[in-house]
Amino acid sequence: MARVKLTDVKKIYDKKVVAVHDFNLEIADKEFVVFVGPSGCGKSTTLRMIAGLEDISEGTVEIGDTVVNDLQPKDRGIAMVFQNYALYPHMTVYDNIAFSLRLQKESEDVIYDRVTKVAEILGITDYLLRKPRALSGGQRQRVAIGRAMVRDSEVFLMDEPLSNLDAKLRNQMRAEIILLRQKLNTTFIYVTHDQTEAMTLGDRIVIMKDGYIMQVGTPTEVFEMPENLFVAEFIGAPKMNIIRTRLQKDAEGYFVTPFGAKIRVDGNKGSALKERGVYEGEVLLGVRPEHIVLSKQNESSIPCTLEVNEMMGSELHLHVVTDDGSRMIVRVPTMDLSDKTRSELVAGQRLFITFSGKVMHFFDPESEKNLLV
Amino acid sequence: MKKQKTSSVEKHHMGQTASRRISNSFIHVLLVVISIIWLIPFVFIVLQSFRVESTWQVGYVIPQKWGFDNYINLAGTDFFRWYLNTFIVALITAALQTIIVLCMSYTLSRFRFKMRKALMKFMLILGMFPGMLSMIILYRVLKDLGMTMENSIPGLILVYVASSGMGYYVSKGFFDTLPKSLDEAARVDGATRFQVLKKIILPLSKPIVIYTVLTAFMGPWGDFVFARYVAFGTSEGMNVAVGMYNWLNKDQINSCYTMFCAGGVLVAIPITILFICLQKYYVEGVTGGAVKG
Repeated sequence: MARVKLTDVKKIYDKKVVAVHDFNLEIADKEFVVFVGPSGCGKSTTLRMIAGLEDISEGTVEIGDTVVNDLQPKDRGIAMVFQNYALYPHMTVYDNIAFSLRLQKESEDVIYDRVTKVAEILGITDYLLRKPRALSGGQRQRVAIGRAMVRDSEVFLMDEPLSNLDAKLRNQMRAEIILLRQKLNTTFIYVTHDQTEAMTLGDRIVIMKDGYIMQVGTPTEVFEMPENLFVAEFIGAPKMNIIRTRLQKDAEGYFVTPFGAKIRVDGNKGSALKERGVYEGEVLLGVRPEHIVLSKQNESSIPCTLEVNEMMGSELHLHVVTDDGSRMIVRVPTMDLSDKTRSELVAGQRLFITFSGKVMHFFDPESEKNLLV
Repeated sequence: MKKQKTSSVEKHHMGQTASRRISNSFIHVLLVVISIIWLIPFVFIVLQSFRVESTWQVGYVIPQKWGFDNYINLAGTDFFRWYLNTFIVALITAALQTIIVLCMSYTLSRFRFKMRKALMKFMLILGMFPGMLSMIILYRVLKDLGMTMENSIPGLILVYVASSGMGYYVSKGFFDTLPKSLDEAARVDGATRFQVLKKIILPLSKPIVIYTVLTAFMGPWGDFVFARYVAFGTSEGMNVAVGMYNWLNKDQINSCYTMFCAGGVLVAIPITILFICLQKYYVEGVTGGAVKG
């Protein structure tokens, strides 16, 4: 049983800099949790506190049913993969993987069996007698994972394991980590700054900023129901468009008036707003780029000018500027466009865009909290 | 136009090459001259040690009669006892000092504790005072402990080893360049701090370990000033430098001068061999610690 529970965990450096504030989280056995956030948000520090590589200033960390605050890393039942692999350069791949087993004084026969088994799973059998410097980045990362796997730990910690790899290899390794997770079936805590990794790998995502947890939820929850403006902008690429506008109400219901267009709020969202006592006033309206569509000129369309057209293959990212100078991004699947329309999408082109009332997110301009949560 | 440009670039290039050659040649000539000046005393001593026709100082360099007599005569003196004394002191000092220096450097490089920086600065400043200043009081202390004269060996070892932690700079600088994540990975893998040092850090720090051993060995091996203070009176506690120095007094110099030279050659042999074998690591150790640290 490898439940991990963090209660009021704090990290304070030099008695003044607080890197992690009152971190509370319970990670279930065999759950895959991803800590994500920009650099300096405290995600790695939290992971290192769980690993025992940083002292815990306040609060408790439990692994299983044991409070591990004062335990050495080796006694916590964890394995860890580091961002820079941290392979022992003077040892062969075999010795690297066998290192922890040798420290446990396992017999060489047992070590051989376990190392070769791990190497087989990871496809590194051919490199077992090489030194790390003779391996490529992807192979090194596999060895690092192998070194962690061989320990049969209850909790697997990964600190940005893919960020040193090139984009193609990263995608491949990401898929391998998903497969590995299925094979190992243990608790994973994974740190990354890449929201795509977080979304694809995690059962749950913990989004952090400046040492605070901004939201904990499944990928779908954080994407569809971001609790605050930070999460809304952080999750999803390209990031959500935020428009400062007024929420108004008439006989037919709520509507917003971004850049002069009048767009009605969907009935369900309207009732939700009403339930929460939100009536009229200034709001930050969030719309994801993929929810904006090109339209004809009408009452609900926003006039704008195309500034940059990024061809991404299956979709276009249109960077547009509204008449008051605000910038927005529109994501349009290439398949939805006729050749004629595509040829017209050049810088300087006048466009009209709109979005439906179902896809809007409303945030309080002061607290930046989602008004519908 | 284009051709003209190319040729001016070529000229510039040739000018550069020529000036570099001139400065290189100058440097080489200078180095050769310095080497010769540097080597003269060594060559002189080696030649004198093979001189058989007389035992006193003479007005020429090349011996008229060559032979090993001086070396053979050494056997009839206490030379090999002093030699052994020196070797024991140097060996034990080298072992202890290496352990202390490496542990100290690792601690200062990897642990963060209160007063760490203050301690480092303190040791740096303390190291700037010449060791001679403490000689008289050290002599007093050793005398009270009964570690002078015939018992000087443990006394000498104690003094050489005592302050060795202060020589942490070079190896700390080297350890600082090794990624901390290696330590962390090993600790997660189940290693204790000492195992991390032994199994991960030291194997990666071969040059610095060798540099530390060499410098730790050379200090006591060649020491005269302090040993002279502590080891006197009886041959039993003398090191080779102190023992041989006695041959240079007015009464003995005429009969022992060439033997003194032979002894000098024998003293230089082990350290020369060590250096030749390990010079690659020594240079790596010095520059590695200094540049990256």
